[in-house]
Amino acid sequence: MIDLTHINYRYDELSTEWVLKDTNLKIGKGEYVLVCGKSGSGKSTLAYLLNGLIPHFLDGELQGRVSVVGKDSRDLTVADLMSLVGLVFQNADAQLFNSTVDKEIGFGLESLGLSAPEIEEKIERTSKALHIEHLLKRSPMTLSGGEKRIVAIASVLSVSPPVMVLDEPLAHLDWEGAKRIREVLLQLHEKGTTLVVIEQRVGALHQDATRCLILEKGEVLFDGSPGDAHPILIHQHLVPRYPARTTGNEHFGTTLLEVQQISHAIEKRPVLKDLSMEVKEGEILAIVGPNGAGKTTLVKHFNGLLHPSRGNVLFMGKGVRRQSPADIASRIGIAFQNPNDQFFKTTVEDELAVGWDLCKKTPAGWLEELRTLFHLHELLSQSPYRLSEGQKKRVSIASVLVMKPRLLVLDEPTVGQDGLFLETLADLLLTLCAKGFTIVIVTHDLDFALATARRWVVVHGGKVVATGPPRELAKDENLLKMGALGNPEWAPADNVHETF
Amino acid sequence: MGIAAVLLTRNTFPLAVEMVLLLGGLLTLKMLRPLVRVLKLILPLVGLVFVIALISFAWETALVLALRLFNLFTLSFVFFQALDPEELGDGLRKMGLPYEFSFILTTSMRYVPLIGMRIRLIADAQRSRGIDLRPRLRNVPRFMALLMPLLVQAFILAEQLAMAMESRGFARKGRSFRRGYRIPLHEYGLMFLALCLLATFVIWERG
Repeated sequence: MIDLTHINYRYDELSTEWVLKDTNLKIGKGEYVLVCGKSGSGKSTLAYLLNGLIPHFLDGELQGRVSVVGKDSRDLTVADLMSLVGLVFQNADAQLFNSTVDKEIGFGLESLGLSAPEIEEKIERTSKALHIEHLLKRSPMTLSGGEKRIVAIASVLSVSPPVMVLDEPLAHLDWEGAKRIREVLLQLHEKGTTLVVIEQRVGALHQDATRCLILEKGEVLFDGSPGDAHPILIHQHLVPRYPARTTGNEHFGTTLLEVQQISHAIEKRPVLKDLSMEVKEGEILAIVGPNGAGKTTLVKHFNGLLHPSRGNVLFMGKGVRRQSPADIASRIGIAFQNPNDQFFKTTVEDELAVGWDLCKKTPAGWLEELRTLFHLHELLSQSPYRLSEGQKKRVSIASVLVMKPRLLVLDEPTVGQDGLFLETLADLLLTLCAKGFTIVIVTHDLDFALATARRWVVVHGGKVVATGPPRELAKDENLLKMGALGNPEWAPADNVHETF
Repeated sequence: MGIAAVLLTRNTFPLAVEMVLLLGGLLTLKMLRPLVRVLKLILPLVGLVFVIALISFAWETALVLALRLFNLFTLSFVFFQALDPEELGDGLRKMGLPYEFSFILTTSMRYVPLIGMRIRLIADAQRSRGIDLRPRLRNVPRFMALLMPLLVQAFILAEQLAMAMESRGFARKGRSFRRGYRIPLHEYGLMFLALCLLATFVIWERG
């Protein structure tokens, strides 16, 4: 189906680094190939190469030959290739640009110039196959993350391409969403579609794939069966192996932050219902739960971004209302999911200086200490936008920590990150905790939450359904059954070496 | 159809007060609540126009200008609330506009809420690191912190969107359409009625 011979590619002809180096790859009909690699290893580039965006849409220099279903991709346009190779992009918001789901699925069919009855019939068939008939008249913007992803797959599947390429289909999804995508992929595989799936969350798809490809700096490091790939995945830190926890301090300090029976509604829909919880001084606490449970809405109450309609939030015994953002930020810092939401300076150094200038109380050596802790020295003169995903996250967390808040909140820090970064981050959080910071992690990544947190608060449907030690909660049948928790992607014994 | 009414306001003299009453009546039907939210943003602007006109001209002119502006805003609000962008696009295509242009129009309107959401996320992220973005005069220089991430992300989104469109055959020749768009008879009737109203109003107002 796909034959790449001696591919060299770089986005910029002047750059000395090739994004893909002498890549050879043959993919046969019906294979299910899982493509892994650190961020920046050339995975997305490979996807663009397969559907003709390279060389037709993106500039850059391409050497070698790409052949898809026996045809050279240079001789075809991207539009010709759409019926051969379907690409599902990483960013579903960019992929879904129509006003309703049925138009979304029909768009490709209209492009091909099919007649109206034919289009209707194919929309119906595609939506039935993926069980999304009930969504057809909805706007893609109103869908949940998992639904968006399935619609994105449907929009590409409708023209029935023999090859489908998916770029990180599991990004942002919780266990429930990931499970549905996994089933959809298996279903496509059974019907004989050739699948190329690029994914950081290796654990979730590892058992299903028939073949595993590991890229490292633009070269194929491994190509073989998923079983054989396992040791290499671990060795390359593509599957995170979390650091051992040595500090066994089980005595939690005094209450730092207290949430008292808060309720909050967004457009009349209740998101938080009479929710109470507390954060103890010096602990690492994880707020876990499925997407849409109200986790992010909850932490936005911590620093007054949102105000509860009922109830109170107290930080060290005082209400958080009516304080200036700079004041609050020097006590409670929140780093949200997308680091790009923060960057507005031309260098990393200036970016860090923003918080430093705003807060006069921070001790003099702290900035230097922070730079060392986050390994930022070599990045200082670079533009924050040009960094890798992991580096961006590091800068983003450091730029919040620069004001030395007592409480650090991280909202979904693991999304879109590779295994190596997850290990680094877990390590970093334990170090920060040892230095006396209190940390709250908001996440649906249970493996990460298990490896870092000492206490979990499980949020489901706007309520706290359980609080306690992670290991016990993770096994709680009731929580699993109600969907408040899911099974970890890897068995914990696989990748966490703990010494309590 | 709203356009005819928008044209109306071009002729407002102090009579515009009546227009406001008229609109008020129309809005109490169902759309008052979302309007109030939008008005919060618009009223300072209207106030500013009023003050400037008051200083430079007479109070009558100022009142007329402010009312006219207010009516225009309200009407365009109603227009965009009531209209499905794709219907507008279909209509324009019917009038002979190439598909690419009507597509750009409808798609850009679809991304407005997404951009709005992004702005809120960026503002939250920046406030959480201590950057004061509350609408105060001394915070104005800090709005770079809002603008820069937004611009960069808009460019990234535009590029990804272009790639996604390309991959799904946007540029391909010989596109077909699922549904033909026809202007129904009663809409012609409404258009005629609106024109009549407009003419009556103009004649009445000019005496």
